[in-house]
Amino acid sequence: MPSETIISTHGLAKHYREVCAVDGIDLDVRQGEIYGFLGRNGAGKTTTIRMVLGLIQPTSGEVVMLGTRIRPGEQDVLSKVGSLVETATAYPNLTVRENLDIQRRLTRARREAVTDAIKLLRLDEYADRRAGQLSLGNKQRLALARALQHQPEVLVLDEPANALDPAGIVEVRELLRRLADERGVTVFMSSHILAEVAHLADRIGIVHAGKLVEELDAKELHAAARSYLDVTVSNPDKAVAVLAERMGIVRVVRTVEGGLRVFDGLERIAEVARLLVTEGLDLTHLAAAEEDLEAHFMRLTGGDN
Amino acid sequence: MLGQVLATEFLKLRRSKITWISWLAFSVMPLAGGLFMWIAKEPGRASQLGLMGEKTRLAGVSADWPSYFTLLNQESCVGGMVLLSIIAAYVFGREFADNTAKNMLTQPVGRHWFAVAKLVVVFVWFGALIVSLVAEGLLVGTLLGLSGFSMQLATSSVGNVLFSGLVGFLLVPAVAWIATLGRGYLPPIGFTVFMLVLGNVFGATGWGKWFPWSIVPMLAGMAGPRVEVLSSGSLVVVGLTFIAGVVATILQLRWADNAQ
Repeated sequence: MPSETIISTHGLAKHYREVCAVDGIDLDVRQGEIYGFLGRNGAGKTTTIRMVLGLIQPTSGEVVMLGTRIRPGEQDVLSKVGSLVETATAYPNLTVRENLDIQRRLTRARREAVTDAIKLLRLDEYADRRAGQLSLGNKQRLALARALQHQPEVLVLDEPANALDPAGIVEVRELLRRLADERGVTVFMSSHILAEVAHLADRIGIVHAGKLVEELDAKELHAAARSYLDVTVSNPDKAVAVLAERMGIVRVVRTVEGGLRVFDGLERIAEVARLLVTEGLDLTHLAAAEEDLEAHFMRLTGGDN
Repeated sequence: MLGQVLATEFLKLRRSKITWISWLAFSVMPLAGGLFMWIAKEPGRASQLGLMGEKTRLAGVSADWPSYFTLLNQESCVGGMVLLSIIAAYVFGREFADNTAKNMLTQPVGRHWFAVAKLVVVFVWFGALIVSLVAEGLLVGTLLGLSGFSMQLATSSVGNVLFSGLVGFLLVPAVAWIATLGRGYLPPIGFTVFMLVLGNVFGATGWGKWFPWSIVPMLAGMAGPRVEVLSSGSLVVVGLTFIAGVVATILQLRWADNAQ
């Protein structure tokens, strides 16, 4: 079981004048785990990742990675870290191979590392093509190859699945899983793609408005998800009124599709059905359901009414 | 580590179009000077060239090696300073323009090495351009059959060109700092143009020897009367500008937020 803490942040905050981009984040990423850092656009994910890599200085708090306090210019620890920050970029006039060779030289990786990384990310066909002529997806592959080629102990990846096609997303997901399981590589990745995080991460930190609003592992995610009754009925307004009046159920949420999500009614499913039919409503769908990560996420980040 | 960083910086340089564009721009200068010499040498043909011939007469250019070397020195001074700023803007600013600064700054390499390596690249690149300009100038002058050549004249004139280039290079770190501060190409180029204008003002008002961007034009007689030997005050000013620029660039790369 993973135990050693590889990345930890303590009260990490970043303010840009009156704007608070990150507001006191405390988190721990343990060895060999994949930590998904989930949040909406502008939630503070990239700013946190930049602080983790020493690209920007925290206003307060600190980042410790592999036992070293990270500060701008603290470069030695980065030999064990592979990173991809925001959009994938490369020197446009240089070929894929030359871009990777620059990385190889600066990380003191062995010569074969370039060829290995090209194979690993399936860039063989584009190895001698200039980076400026690559598609967005292949630029992303090049950026991932750059992050991986010196066999780092830690991967800090900001939206690693950006611009990849569905097959590419699965491929990268499997690659990261393999690196974590077989080589004990620690992955700290941000994403706004819920499915990607749900499929891959061992633990998930949900960030909203610069704060870490919840941290949970894959098992806890299922426990945290709320159960409800999914109801489709001919007159939702009347159904809401009747459920409140006759059964005292007030936690009812309307969905955009016109249905109802009835919370607290799971144990009284038969009673709910009887009541709605008795009231002359056409009940076309009634089923027990569970919130998925998306719903949980929306609830936490205020996207659910 | 410097060796590895230098290797990567030279690779970036080799693959850049601006390498050849700057060489072409610099190679035009001796040809332009040679054209003036040719017109001055052939007054009959000069009159057939309209404005060009008129201008040549007004400038009082004579077709000999001393005049040609003076022209080369002026061209390399002013053209060189503009070109140097473009080269420095490119070498330092491209990391921000191409959004590769985040990749560079997350390497396990002291950030100061990037500043040092980039300055070395600018020095070598500009040095090669100056040598190319001198060689081309000597070839063009020889082909034109200019009079008044002597080894002493050639040595001192070439020395002047190289010295002006060296002094111009000492101002590069300030331009590099503006490129890292402004995170791109345009701020350093705008900065240089502004400084050259200011340099003319300082030169015309007699304060040029205390202003770094007046000193190089003064060496070519383009900001007030031509100065043969720089005063120790001017050398100190240029030296301090160099040191301040290097320190500021390194501090900027090391401490400034890279939130791009």
